[in-house]
Amino acid sequence: MKGKIFKLTYIASFITSLLISINCGAQEIDVSNYRMLYNFSTVKQHDNSRVLEVSFIARNKKSKKDKIPVFDAEIDFFNILNDKEVLLGTSKTSKEGIAQLTLPENQSYLTDEEGYFNFKAVFEGTAGLDGEEEELAIKDIFIELYLSEIDSVKTVLVKAFTIDSLRVETPVEEVDIIISIGGMLSKMTLEEGYIENGEYEFEFPTDIPGDVNGDLTVYSIIDDHKEFGNVNKKETINWGVFHKQDKKENNKLWSDAAPIWMYVVLTFMLVGVWANYIYTIINLFKIKKEGVNLELESKV
Amino acid sequence: MDIEQRKRELVKEFSPMLRKTTTISKIWIGFLIAVIAVGFYALILQFTKGHIVTGMRDNVVWGIYIINFIFFVCLSYSGAFIAGILHFFKTPWKNSVSRIVEITTVLSIIIGPIFILLCIGRLDRLHYLFLYPRIQSPITWDIIAILTDLIGCFLYLYLTFIPDFSILRDNSDDAPKWRKKLYSILSFGYQDTTSQRERLNKITRIMSTMIIAMAIVTYSVLAWIFSLTVQPGWNSTIFAPYFIIAGLYSGVSVIIVAMYLIRKYYHLNHYIRKVHFVGAGIILLVISLLFGYFTFTEYFSRWFSHKTHDIELLETLFNRYFWEFIFANYIGVLVPIGILFFKKFRTIKSITFAAVIAILGLWFNRYLIVVPTLETPYIPIQDTRPEFIHYSSTWIEWALSFTGIAAFILFFMLIMKLVPIIPISGIIDQERKSKKIKPKIIL
Repeated sequence: MKGKIFKLTYIASFITSLLISINCGAQEIDVSNYRMLYNFSTVKQHDNSRVLEVSFIARNKKSKKDKIPVFDAEIDFFNILNDKEVLLGTSKTSKEGIAQLTLPENQSYLTDEEGYFNFKAVFEGTAGLDGEEEELAIKDIFIELYLSEIDSVKTVLVKAFTIDSLRVETPVEEVDIIISIGGMLSKMTLEEGYIENGEYEFEFPTDIPGDVNGDLTVYSIIDDHKEFGNVNKKETINWGVFHKQDKKENNKLWSDAAPIWMYVVLTFMLVGVWANYIYTIINLFKIKKEGVNLELESKV
Repeated sequence: MDIEQRKRELVKEFSPMLRKTTTISKIWIGFLIAVIAVGFYALILQFTKGHIVTGMRDNVVWGIYIINFIFFVCLSYSGAFIAGILHFFKTPWKNSVSRIVEITTVLSIIIGPIFILLCIGRLDRLHYLFLYPRIQSPITWDIIAILTDLIGCFLYLYLTFIPDFSILRDNSDDAPKWRKKLYSILSFGYQDTTSQRERLNKITRIMSTMIIAMAIVTYSVLAWIFSLTVQPGWNSTIFAPYFIIAGLYSGVSVIIVAMYLIRKYYHLNHYIRKVHFVGAGIILLVISLLFGYFTFTEYFSRWFSHKTHDIELLETLFNRYFWEFIFANYIGVLVPIGILFFKKFRTIKSITFAAVIAILGLWFNRYLIVVPTLETPYIPIQDTRPEFIHYSSTWIEWALSFTGIAAFILFFMLIMKLVPIIPISGIIDQERKSKKIKPKIIL
């Protein structure tokens, strides 16, 4: 009896354990096996606001695929110049290990003699994690994006310049630029080139579909430039081409009415089956009739 | 020996099973009713509070209810298929298992569709399915098929019960009045005359063919509900035959387990013998080999094609659902094959154990078809709350699932109180053919 109870308990425990996923338990990790990746970057957005961003991720020293974002780490962002440090703001890392601080267009910055903004992102550290800090020097750049039709040719014109302390505009030279359009999930690159004499011109393709109204969002992007960092500019214009479908939709399953063959097949099958049921029931009543007659005869 | 005398003997032999309820049976019935009561409470909670009390959310819209639905419906189709085959080919040992198969068929086709109703968030709109059906939709095909199959199964089961009802009507002198009246109504005037017997045999034979075809069609339609979508893990050309084989795998397994329990608790060793278990075990072996082959083909082609979403699904299966995957597709297939392949392992207990493993493996197989696919959709999941990305069933869902199983067992026991689990008419027919008994002449 004891053995039986033990056996049944064992089987029940085994089955229960199968119902529990292997990943449901909390996992402890040893920090010494991980290398901290602390990256600081900045993006100048289309409305001229600036985003300061820190990506804080722990990567396994043995397996590069094993990456764990550092969550809820407090990052202080500073604007520095020589010995001066101005705290711009503080942000905590998200579940993806990203901390961001958005600074408005009219934010004033300390600028060095070469026109650079110097930023610093500091993580003070905790009992389990060492402190981290990284600095960044960025020159401010201004981008103007013009979308116009020149001699019936849809043209994208990008102007890029810097402004010095005397408000003098200086065109930038040999800066890589990407022209993209916005999609549902990500941007699609149309052209990659570089700015010369502060300008870049690009003939827009005529076969790009837009949204339901034919609108397209065009982006000009400077990506990870050593002097200017990341800079985005966007404009929306009605340049989308609506492609009318030439071929008629042939899949009748999505149309209002089903194809005739489907009605025919279903009708044949159902009539065949139900006719057989009716035939069976009729025969059942014949059996009953015969039984009732026999009963009457026996009573007589 | 005279036929009538033999019938009386057999009714006498089976009457304790029909009329007496042992203490163990009473405890069992009480336990099953308690499980159903808990399920009823869970049902009220679900109806009043909505699907928020379940683990089903916007992305993973199906959970263990649909798995139970597929499992029970597949049990029914496989039962119908096996019953049809047993009857149509006049299998020599059909008498010992045919009623178990037939009762399994009908009960599971009643209980299965109840689970699909539990998946529906707006039951008040259920009648729209009938008012505004889209004949192009596999859901509509499924509703038509299930209703047609349900009626066909009922009809077939009733046809096979009629001769026994007639025997019980004529030989239950000491039975309560209500029971006699019930047998009299259900026997439908059947007197076992030659013409009645021939007529009944003819329509039963036609119906057995019909339900084999119905089982194939209906189960294919159920598979198409999944495979006609473009979801990774579902969009497969072999899903219909795969479901049919899987259905037979679980069907034969449940029948073996039912045979074992009925044999043990009703002391029917004389009727349900080792030869029946070995026969069913060999059928299970063949089906498990086929099921393993289909499972391997299904996953191998997905892995080899290396389509992004299929690979994501396989990664989910081999990480988050690792043990369930191993149990469903390795243990659930290889253990039954290992036991049933070797002659010396083919004992009644080991065959039943193999069947239990097959049932559990197949349930998990169904779980892995439904849930991980819904957790890895084509369009990225917008809301990152864990309960929206991953499905985990709640006690309400488990309570209602166990209620389904309890109702199945309870109704099985109640039907066994109405008719003998071994058809008396079948024994008479066999003995009549072997000339052990003399036919009665009706003037």
